[in-house]
Amino acid sequence: MVQHHLELKLDSDPGSLAAVRKAVEMFSSNSGFSEKAANDVGLCVNETLANIIRHAYSGKTDRPIEIRVEAHDDRLIVLIRDWGAGVDPSTIPQPPYDPLTPGGVGLLCIKKLMDEVSYTPQSDGMLTMMVKLRT
Amino acid sequence: MDELATGNKALPTFRKEGDAILLSLRGEIDLHSSPGVRTVLLDLLTKHKPKRLVLNLAEVPYMDSSAIAVLVEGMQKLRKDGGKIYLTNLQPRVRGLLEIARLDTIFVLVNDEQDALKK
Repeated sequence: MVQHHLELKLDSDPGSLAAVRKAVEMFSSNSGFSEKAANDVGLCVNETLANIIRHAYSGKTDRPIEIRVEAHDDRLIVLIRDWGAGVDPSTIPQPPYDPLTPGGVGLLCIKKLMDEVSYTPQSDGMLTMMVKLRT
Repeated sequence: MDELATGNKALPTFRKEGDAILLSLRGEIDLHSSPGVRTVLLDLLTKHKPKRLVLNLAEVPYMDSSAIAVLVEGMQKLRKDGGKIYLTNLQPRVRGLLEIARLDTIFVLVNDEQDALKK
């Protein structure tokens, strides 16, 4: 059952990233998550939004993104909707992560720090869902 | 040594000491600010070809993967010229991200700028 939720609408402007990240971190913290967990969620939202801006929207800064964060009894659910290219990042062939080559850290963070991640293609974009369990 | 201006508010000044360039980064570095940091950093490396680049991160509470990519690109450029990158005064979130990226053992982490200059 959803205890409470946060909804944000933004343009795909990198200048919005910090404010959105901080709003999500504050919501997570106010929902009873530890500072570390709230920071993890904030970083993963930042990385997801950055991927959308760079890849789904090819760097365009005026495209819509909607975020909904739900606090449940046992988890936090983050839903991020975009109207971009609709490519599931997990299906793009990538070489094994190499720390000496730039790139790949964002998806690595999301896989490591969130408990579940899914990408659901929409007819006109993508719905990304991330879950952080309460510990 | 005199501080020289870069024109970028995330790394406003730098100084040269021997074969080293020392920079203090400031603020949160994400996709909004990392392109500017990249431009200044790579320009400094091209112009001065230091053997040591010392980045003081005491005033960087947060960075994301785009900032990490800039650091790795800088490290690769330095390595081609036989140089190394030193990071000092890491804040917890930045250190955590470096650990996830498995870069905490690749960059040279030192306590302060003087430690880097002694190496």
